Amino acid sequence: MATRARTTSTAAATTPILRARNLHRILGTGDAASHILHGVELAIEPHSYVAIVGASGSGKSTLLYLLGGLDRPSQGDYDPNDRYVPFDPPSRVFIDGRDTTELDDVELALLRNARIGFVFQFHYLLKEFTAQENVALPMLKRGHVSRSEALDRAAHLLDRLQLGGKLKRRANRLSGGEQQRVAIARALANEPAVILADEPTGNLDKHNSERVAEVFHELAAAGQTIVMVTHDPAFARRARRIITMEDGRIMADDRPPDGAASSQVGPQPNLPDANPRALS
Amino acid sequence: MNGPTISGGNLKSKIQNPQSKTLPMLWHISMRYLLAHKRQTLVCVAGVTISVMMFLAMFAMMQGFRNKFIIETVESNGHVVVDDEPRERQTPILERAYPDPHAVLVLERPKPREQVKQIRHPVGLLAKIRALPYVVAAAPEVTGSVIATYGTKTFPIEVIGVEPQQQERVTTIGEKLVEGSFTRLRSTADGVVLGQGVALTLGAHVGDAISLVASKLDGTPGGRAHARVVGIFQTGVVPVDYSRIYMLLNDAQTLLDKKNIVNRITVRTDDYVQARAYAAQIEAIGGYKTESWQETNENFLKIFAIQDLITYIITGAILVVAAFGVLNILIMAVLERINDIAILRSYGFSRRDITLIFVIQGLAIGLAGACLGLVLGKLMIEGLRRLRIPMEGLVKAEGLLMSESRGMYLTAFVASVVVVLLASAYPARRAARYDPVAVIRGAH
Repeated sequence: MATRARTTSTAAATTPILRARNLHRILGTGDAASHILHGVELAIEPHSYVAIVGASGSGKSTLLYLLGGLDRPSQGDYDPNDRYVPFDPPSRVFIDGRDTTELDDVELALLRNARIGFVFQFHYLLKEFTAQENVALPMLKRGHVSRSEALDRAAHLLDRLQLGGKLKRRANRLSGGEQQRVAIARALANEPAVILADEPTGNLDKHNSERVAEVFHELAAAGQTIVMVTHDPAFARRARRIITMEDGRIMADDRPPDGAASSQVGPQPNLPDANPRALS
Repeated sequence: MNGPTISGGNLKSKIQNPQSKTLPMLWHISMRYLLAHKRQTLVCVAGVTISVMMFLAMFAMMQGFRNKFIIETVESNGHVVVDDEPRERQTPILERAYPDPHAVLVLERPKPREQVKQIRHPVGLLAKIRALPYVVAAAPEVTGSVIATYGTKTFPIEVIGVEPQQQERVTTIGEKLVEGSFTRLRSTADGVVLGQGVALTLGAHVGDAISLVASKLDGTPGGRAHARVVGIFQTGVVPVDYSRIYMLLNDAQTLLDKKNIVNRITVRTDDYVQARAYAAQIEAIGGYKTESWQETNENFLKIFAIQDLITYIITGAILVVAAFGVLNILIMAVLERINDIAILRSYGFSRRDITLIFVIQGLAIGLAGACLGLVLGKLMIEGLRRLRIPMEGLVKAEGLLMSESRGMYLTAFVASVVVVLLASAYPARRAARYDPVAVIRGAH
């Protein structure tokens, strides 16, 4: 599957799934305003495995949420004379070529549902629902499959992540590592174009961190586009592209020589095949 | 691996997600949330149920008494009454002197004319009234005040002289006799039918002879009669039963010194609800003051309207308290679900979806409370109906008079659901306004 994924046309492979253009984000207003991102330029191509690293407060997570359409870019700032000055060129995020600033709340939500899979540090599962139901919900929201199909597919995904025996277990009765793997399965539910992960191992012990890192690595090897924010240098080193941020700016964008990253991918006997058809 | 690119055109049409497909899922999430806190949910539902139940019981009771009063009043008094006085302004002379329509004209201490009032040419007027298409029957009457004496007891009452057969066609008084017979008025000299309240006050029974003394216009005693009680009626309307006796028209005319005089015509129409309009038409024909039952009982109808208002206010207050309970619990639920809201937003739930999740919870509480309230309210009405509590106020009854209508059930259902829905709107909107990024960052 990974091979087939990598043999897509060069043109398609170079068309970015996510693109940030002169991206700014200001949080708060007035004296409390904080300029988190300063004109970030970034493109995420299909099949890339990107790690965003940097110190706390460097704008990594903010960038991730903006790229995923969960937040909206700021469009201007006040100069010292208290005049509003729009950013030039305009601060924009494109998902699949769509300018997110042109989408209303419903359109952006639909785009997130269909094209983006989020994984957060604190897994955020719905505790009243079983692991299987948690994974099925994004599919039910999309409405492209029936309830039974969604549950079947959720069971399949969980099984691939070694959670097949815990389908009917309530989310709050799973261990931290299990919950994070359920969250990854949920992120994969709608065959997203890209998985955006914010410190996916940040709240896990070493053993579970290794396991989650391995899952991400396997997904990336299968061709799944992944952008993750992490403080874990070992985890970051497994990515094929490492973006270093500082004070809301990209300070380094390292791309190891082609093939270097893939050469790190080992055998994948239980690999969740990232090809959507193979998963279903 | 990566799915087809979505670009160009309308995104909503490209990513099919009709609300009709999403709604069952939103309902499912809402129900799961509600059932996660069964006790709180039950308290909310109970609040709505109690308010619906109370509304139904109180409204049925009020409606029962009102209907009893209206029906008995209408049936025992007739739908429309033609009186013996022209409906004229009291200040015609002043108006000629001061034609300004905005002038306030007051006539102080006018002296009444000392003449017996009557309807002139009553036979002709009766014929005209009976010819009207909506008139079922019309009967002549003579009325006046008398003092009834039985033994040592005396009681001021209104005597109504009637033709029994004609009277039975315009009112149901003939069917309201609890003792004796209405038609015996014709076969008994100076026969009289007493209201049950009058009979009780005097202590008179059928077969007893009571003394009746009419008073003249100047207040001096007029005609006298030793009347034989031939019947006792009970309408259930206390003001009627305690103030009225019936005699034969001729006997009453003699007693009241109103020989061949008819001073009232009672009319029964095909629809008592239309009585106001009919009365206006009959007044235009006869020229005499003609009152519908609504006009005659305007004060009572106003009291009933106030009673209805009080019922609405009390049950509305209970419902508002219940709604505040729902509001409070849903606000707590929203605060508890902040993380859920953020994660749902992250995987594609719009603000509208989040709003709907909490509105649906309100709707479910409202629907459950309203349905339960309807069932329990119905049971409560049946229970109250079976209670035997003798009552005597404006109307007399052996128990609580409960009257139901489809409208009152519909009102209770719709009002409770709408109020609870409104109560859920604020927490739902608040839930939708949460910024998922701020929640994930831990700002909330």
